[in-house]
Amino acid sequence: MSTNQSGDTTKARPYILFSVAGTTYALPSDQVRHMEMVGQITAVPNAAPFIEGVAFSRGQVVPVINLRVRFGFERQVPDLRSRLLIVEVNSRHIGLLADSAREFVPIADDLIHPPSEAIGGLSGSYVSGVATIDERIILILNMSPLVDTTPNIAA
Amino acid sequence: MDEPRDFIASFMDDYFAESEEHLATARQHLLLLEAAMHDDELPTAIVDELFRSFHSLKGISAMVELREAEQLAHEMESCLARIRERRSVLTPPVFETLVSATNVLEQVIVGRREGSAIPSIDQALAQFATVGASSSSRDQPPGTSTVQTHAAHSPIRVTFTPTADLVARGVRVDTIRTRLSDTGHIERVAPRITKDGGITFEFLVTGIPDDTLRSWRDDGVTFEVIEPAAVPRPVEIPATTPGPANYVRVDLGRLDDLMRFVSDLVVSRARLEDTLLRVESYVPAAIWRTLEEHTESIERQLGDLREGVMRVRLVPVSEIFRRMPFVVRDLARDAGKQVQLELVGQSTEIDKFLIERMMDPVLHLVRNAVSHGIESPEERITAGKRPDGTIRLAASTVGESVVIEVSDDGRGIDADAISRRAREAGLDVPHGELHAQALLDVISLPGFSTRDEADRASGRGIGMSVVRDSIQELGGSLSVVTTAGAGTTFRAVLPLTLAITDALIVHVGSRTFAVPQSAIQEVADIDSSAVRAIEHNELVVHRGMPLPVVRLAQLFGIDSLERQRLHVIIVGSGLGAVGILVDRISGQREIVVKALHDPLVTVTGISGASELGDGQLVLILDVAGLTRTLRHRGTAIRAAV
Repeated sequence: MSTNQSGDTTKARPYILFSVAGTTYALPSDQVRHMEMVGQITAVPNAAPFIEGVAFSRGQVVPVINLRVRFGFERQVPDLRSRLLIVEVNSRHIGLLADSAREFVPIADDLIHPPSEAIGGLSGSYVSGVATIDERIILILNMSPLVDTTPNIAA
Repeated sequence: MDEPRDFIASFMDDYFAESEEHLATARQHLLLLEAAMHDDELPTAIVDELFRSFHSLKGISAMVELREAEQLAHEMESCLARIRERRSVLTPPVFETLVSATNVLEQVIVGRREGSAIPSIDQALAQFATVGASSSSRDQPPGTSTVQTHAAHSPIRVTFTPTADLVARGVRVDTIRTRLSDTGHIERVAPRITKDGGITFEFLVTGIPDDTLRSWRDDGVTFEVIEPAAVPRPVEIPATTPGPANYVRVDLGRLDDLMRFVSDLVVSRARLEDTLLRVESYVPAAIWRTLEEHTESIERQLGDLREGVMRVRLVPVSEIFRRMPFVVRDLARDAGKQVQLELVGQSTEIDKFLIERMMDPVLHLVRNAVSHGIESPEERITAGKRPDGTIRLAASTVGESVVIEVSDDGRGIDADAISRRAREAGLDVPHGELHAQALLDVISLPGFSTRDEADRASGRGIGMSVVRDSIQELGGSLSVVTTAGAGTTFRAVLPLTLAITDALIVHVGSRTFAVPQSAIQEVADIDSSAVRAIEHNELVVHRGMPLPVVRLAQLFGIDSLERQRLHVIIVGSGLGAVGILVDRISGQREIVVKALHDPLVTVTGISGASELGDGQLVLILDVAGLTRTLRHRGTAIRAAV
């Protein structure tokens, strides 16, 4: 069942990379159920500002978090590059709206460092680590605070 | 050879459906038979019913060339025939053989359906050979004596009460049994517990002269002759047993079609009424009244029709429950546990759609209760409990929901052990003590299993994660209550009308919402000038009564142009009535309700969402929630003034 492929020595796990407002983020691929292009999203009145609405995905109704808004950027109209990542957290299914999502990348555990003070202060608790691959900086996301109902995690 | 194969293939679906039905009937009657096994009279009606089921199974299995099933069913049929004709006695071993053969038969049919290996039937056949041999020795009654005072086959009930004195003299139940079988023919024997806690043995015998029996009186033997007219008396089968002839099997798809036709009719009627309203001023008053009467009766009849079609979809929850005694029986025996199964509320009705999807989750919860909940008899005795555990399966209708509970009086869920094991499995577990809901979250994580060994229950079952997902997908919820040492209750709450309900589709600005028809009292058109502001509330006068109204646009912060005509949807009744103002009503339709559980989208006034067939979701108004907040607001305002 699990797609966790950590080896005995190298401990590289597959991640899914996606970008939001120019920054590359990563989520362990075993937390991502599937990815899809952005279809109709129905707004939910009086929900938190970062909630884009609800979407119908594979027979299920999932709440959609607009990651741009969640990270404190301006809302943009989804386009052809936008992707909906359906993730599973504590048996909840949630859609994450990203500007684009590109690839699966195995990242070795020893390449991931704890977020530096600077990044930690900037992006709050939702970054669990930072990896540098081919001079690209990738922020590893911590899902739990992300899908929390707390209004402002970026502060 | 291809042609006959195709020919058979085309019948297979019918075969599987029909065999499932016969197996279900057979299972039910086996349970009745078990309950009646020790009764004085042979439960002929039950045996007959079983005979018919297996006879039919034999026939249809032969038609589809499923030889294993045919052969097994044949053995069972013959065995039942012997019992029915009293050539064989229904003893516990015979009964066990019938039960296990039924299970093998089911596996054979399932194997064929799934295209998996068909289990060997040799063992089951061998079992029949064994029990058949022991009973066939009685096929021929012993020679009859001319000194009989009763007809050869008039049964006599002989009761033997063992005492210490008798045992001292060497007279035991075996002694009496030998005497009886040497002299006559023993039909049946059953131990009985007397009121004062003693034990007696009842033999049903034929062909033994009264004088002989009387001479054994000092040996603790009494007897009474059973009048021939009283035997055999058919056993009354509970009314819930489906009669064979009064049921029609219908494809659920056809019911869905019917429901859709009815929904279309409802929409057409609404359009008709719309048009009629527009011509009202051109029609003479008398004709208008007649027209109105007609459309009203059409509306009423449509309502009846819709309810009737809905009712056809409802089936008693016993369709799920009746399988459980078998599951519990088998599992308990394999696990060396003693389990009583209590079934409550079997006649509770639930949508067929839900029944089919709840079968596996309930099965899983019951299996879990047997394998994880109930302790071994030794463990229970040590804990000061009865050696036999109880599993209670209960269904009830509560308001708009159906509640299904699976409870056991077992050891309870050990929260510490659960979090330890989950962490060992590398799962993300919150720290600190787990309360019941968090516990459920953990055991519902994909990949979580409480047992190292792949025991039978979890080995072929589905995980708790699937149980919870399936219940949530049906718009329901699952909760758990557990007490260490005292037991666990899983509670599934499901919507009564499954996920399908009728709703009015309304529009506010560019947004669309669905309002469940069941919540709506009335729909009216008003002129926007009729809305009056009273302090912080708005109201309209409707049927001479002030009716508080709420603008959905305002409540939900939706941009909407000021309109001349507004539609008011009146919900609630009496003083609790509230009007919801919307821009437009576009029709009525059947919607499939998907509940919104996630805290991210849990907002007042919205209960769920529905997909209208084009991938677009509309939100469903939670009318009860809306009126509640309005009332609170009203009270607050009144209190503040």
